[in-house]
Amino acid sequence: MRGFELVHPGSLREAIAMLDADDPSVRPWSGGTALMLMMKTGVFQPSRLVCLAGIENSYAAIAATPEGGLRIGAMASLTSIELSPDVFRVAPVIARTMKRLSNVRVRNVARIGGNVAHGDPHMDLPPVLAALGAEIAVSGSQGQRRIAMENLFSGYYETVLNSRELITEVIVPPQRGWSSAYLKCTTRSADDWPALGVAVSLMVENGKIAQSRVAIAAATEKLTRLHSAEAALANAGADDTTFARAADAAASEAVTVDDSRGSAGYKTALVRVYTRRALQQAMAHGAVQ
Amino acid sequence: MTGMRPMPGGQIGRSVPRLEGRQKVTGRADYTHNLVLPGMLHVKIFRSTMPHGRIRSIDTSAAAEMEGVYRVVTGQDIRQIVPEPYYGPAFHDQPVLALDKVRYVGEPVAAVLAADPYVAADAVQLISADYEELEPVFDEVEAVDSSAIVHDVLKPAGTFPDLKHLHGRQNTNVALDYRLRRGDVEAEFAAADHVFEHEFHTQQTMHTPLEPMVSLAEPSDGSLTIYTASQSPSFVRIEIARLLGWPENRVRVKVPHLGGGFGAKLYIKLEALVACLALMVRRPVGLALTMEEQFYTITKHASTFRIKSAVNKDGRITARRCEVFYNGGAYADIGPRVAQKSGFTSPGPYDIENVSIDSYEVYTNRPPAGALRGFGIPQLVWAYESHTDLIARELKIDPIEFRRKNLIREGRPQATGTPLRHAALLGVLDTLANHMEWSKPFERGSGTLRRGRGIAIGFKASIAPTTSVAIVNVYGDGSSSLYISTVDMGQGSDTAMAQIVAETLGIAAESVKVIHPDTDVTPYDMATLGSRSTFHMGHAVKRAAEHARGQLDELARSLGLPEGTNYGPRELFRQKYGMQAGNVVGVGSFIPEYKSPHPETGLTDNVTPFWMIGGTGVEVEVDTETGLVRILRLVNAADLGRPLNPKIVETQLSGAALMQLGFTMFEEMEFDNGQVSNASFADYKIPGIHDVPWTIENHIVETEQPTGPFGAKGVGESGTFGVSPAIASAIHDAVGVRLTKLPLSAEAVFNAIHASAYKD
Repeated sequence: MRGFELVHPGSLREAIAMLDADDPSVRPWSGGTALMLMMKTGVFQPSRLVCLAGIENSYAAIAATPEGGLRIGAMASLTSIELSPDVFRVAPVIARTMKRLSNVRVRNVARIGGNVAHGDPHMDLPPVLAALGAEIAVSGSQGQRRIAMENLFSGYYETVLNSRELITEVIVPPQRGWSSAYLKCTTRSADDWPALGVAVSLMVENGKIAQSRVAIAAATEKLTRLHSAEAALANAGADDTTFARAADAAASEAVTVDDSRGSAGYKTALVRVYTRRALQQAMAHGAVQ
Repeated sequence: MTGMRPMPGGQIGRSVPRLEGRQKVTGRADYTHNLVLPGMLHVKIFRSTMPHGRIRSIDTSAAAEMEGVYRVVTGQDIRQIVPEPYYGPAFHDQPVLALDKVRYVGEPVAAVLAADPYVAADAVQLISADYEELEPVFDEVEAVDSSAIVHDVLKPAGTFPDLKHLHGRQNTNVALDYRLRRGDVEAEFAAADHVFEHEFHTQQTMHTPLEPMVSLAEPSDGSLTIYTASQSPSFVRIEIARLLGWPENRVRVKVPHLGGGFGAKLYIKLEALVACLALMVRRPVGLALTMEEQFYTITKHASTFRIKSAVNKDGRITARRCEVFYNGGAYADIGPRVAQKSGFTSPGPYDIENVSIDSYEVYTNRPPAGALRGFGIPQLVWAYESHTDLIARELKIDPIEFRRKNLIREGRPQATGTPLRHAALLGVLDTLANHMEWSKPFERGSGTLRRGRGIAIGFKASIAPTTSVAIVNVYGDGSSSLYISTVDMGQGSDTAMAQIVAETLGIAAESVKVIHPDTDVTPYDMATLGSRSTFHMGHAVKRAAEHARGQLDELARSLGLPEGTNYGPRELFRQKYGMQAGNVVGVGSFIPEYKSPHPETGLTDNVTPFWMIGGTGVEVEVDTETGLVRILRLVNAADLGRPLNPKIVETQLSGAALMQLGFTMFEEMEFDNGQVSNASFADYKIPGIHDVPWTIENHIVETEQPTGPFGAKGVGESGTFGVSPAIASAIHDAVGVRLTKLPLSAEAVFNAIHASAYKD
């Protein structure tokens, strides 16, 4: 590992100024759990790391909104999110997801902003947040913008963020009436990266599915929202027949990829099984009050 | 016995907490990784990117010019120190750095030395090599007849008489062909009521010790000290002395604690390279591998096993033919011994009149394979126990009954003709059947979750003939130390050996200090491998302690003290010398008897000093929609003679079984044209705490090994034997499909379920 510069900005504006639009070896550093692995294996050799610890206090808050949603600061650690009573009340699926997300040492250090910005399709939170309808707030040299979670990723380890933009916040819309679940499948050790993650959210009114979001990751090149599965759910009864039909649609739509966790064909089969089970589990969990 | 024994008896069979436990959990234990020598240079290795190629040129100029680089060394430079720089325990086939040819992706080609390891690593990136591409061969069966020849000529080391006949063989990748012939299998196949034939495969895996390999060498005037995480310090000294043409006493090898070994750190690994480099630059030199680099250093054999059996109408196996192909990779390491020492047990622990075995160690262009917890046995048990279950199923005989009918009874000959003695095969089988409640109805699950169960049993011979020597030193104040070259790599040998000393001298195990291997101080031991330490070194230690005790008794008599005096060693020394002074040194050594198998028939009446017996029963739950398998219950049973330390024995059994569980369910080195594509813990997964079965039981079968120290024998590997076939059998029981290839991945189970559904 060659030497690199480690800089400590004291404000968001300073941090953005220290990033470089043209040099991919300049990267922001929040928890560092992913970057450290990449640096250790030589996949990434930084010239400069912009440490965000100095602005952590201003961007780590977690709070329920009066409307029944959530605002989560990008520098909030995964553990603080896991243990937040507001998160548990508004979006319990996030807290449940954390139990099998990496391990406690990583969750203590990793930040939600970095987790999302990393662009790794094997992360658990992006599909969960996408199914919750979350958006991210971004600040950059050109100003601020909001991006829907499902639109953040442009490819394998690629996002639509430019290199002088930082995620400042994750915004979860009101969840009242929504039922959600996340299922992940690891095909080797229990702590392996998932072969598949499926997140679903349902809004059921009078026994019919009024709205739904189905998002998958890990088995696909990037986080993917499965609109055909949602179409199969639309205005149908919230029962096993509907869920099976939606699961078939999900399996037909998902473009899965081969890797050491399984062949594309196997992952497609997993998409079918896990989409159906996730929908059933969301119903079993019941709606957020 | 004349002198007083302050704590008579009771040291054996007591679960003494590990002597080093406190040091380890408080971070105070010594590891080679923490050692920094003044003026030390760090080494980083430039490795081959070609599976098989002739070296045209190596360009080190840019690396050599880089600021901070002390020197860059290639294979030709090594010849200045060692003209014939080939090493290895079985064959002298492995160059310190590649010469002429590269034989696998990851083979060391050049080394960079720098005071800063990061500078050395960067300089490695500036080295390039040009190769003439040669045809590679990767599969162990294809390699037997391949036109791609990995080594032009076989070069057995001469250390092992069983390998001498291979000397000078050319144009072959078969590094060893062990054969055994007993009776007439072909005649029996022709006449038999039933004939069964199957083929089984295992994949290449790695030991993944959490402390990667590390060696340091420090030159001094006409001598060399090597600090190394090695399981075989005595062998390192002998091999380095041989390479340098030095007497043994000019090479000193020191080994502190190891962060895991499992066979990865046996014989010689990095030591020859650091020794040559240190002598070249006349400075201390250290090389610490990364986890990734371990995958390019030593692995567990992939294998193919073709097995064919004749069974008569009474369910007795009457003939068996075994053809075993071990994928040895590019260098022999100890592979030829694996093919032979394990090969002769390949028909399994069954009483079979007619047996034919061909066991091959085959060179390929993969990373070398050597010893890994079981020394080739788990590959064999996987095949012969899967075969056993398939036969029982086909003949509609209960698998426990089928085994009971065919297991070798006490005193009956094993395949080699050696009678099986003190081997509780039936005891292990019965223990499993009882604890699995085999005769009771079994809850088989419903819907998409189906349950099944399976058992398997295996056995292993010890490595013979090998020598151990021990010294017990009783000091002037009566305290004592044990000097041995057994390496405690986590298995608990320090504690067990201290218990043997303590029992013999009549003191507490906790008061015995175990001096770690230092070849200037501790005497010879063949190596810490093959579950041999308890038996071999245990005997030597017991003899050394008895020798010391005899001298103390003699001292008491010479002082005119009455028989049974309550004077301890401290008082005896004080009486003799008039002050706290002197010591008594007890020496013991042990080598068991052994008779080499006949070169033509493979037969011998004394192939091993003892047998290890291990079995496993499992209950699984299979998700029929995904193929995911959950192991609900894992029951291990073993015959290990009398347990010296029951708690350590239990952790040995469960540790071995969990390690094998990883090799069974998902561990697999993946290759892309010879390049390992998952050489890290991110992509090569080993079992974690959540993969441990809900219930895990370890049962010690009540027996005694009368020829062992205090009735004990080895146990480090026995827990591995039955795991893979028991799980495959349980899956078969649950969902009706049989897998014949490891690992038993969810996808493989899923595909098999679908294939069988389609067929039906």
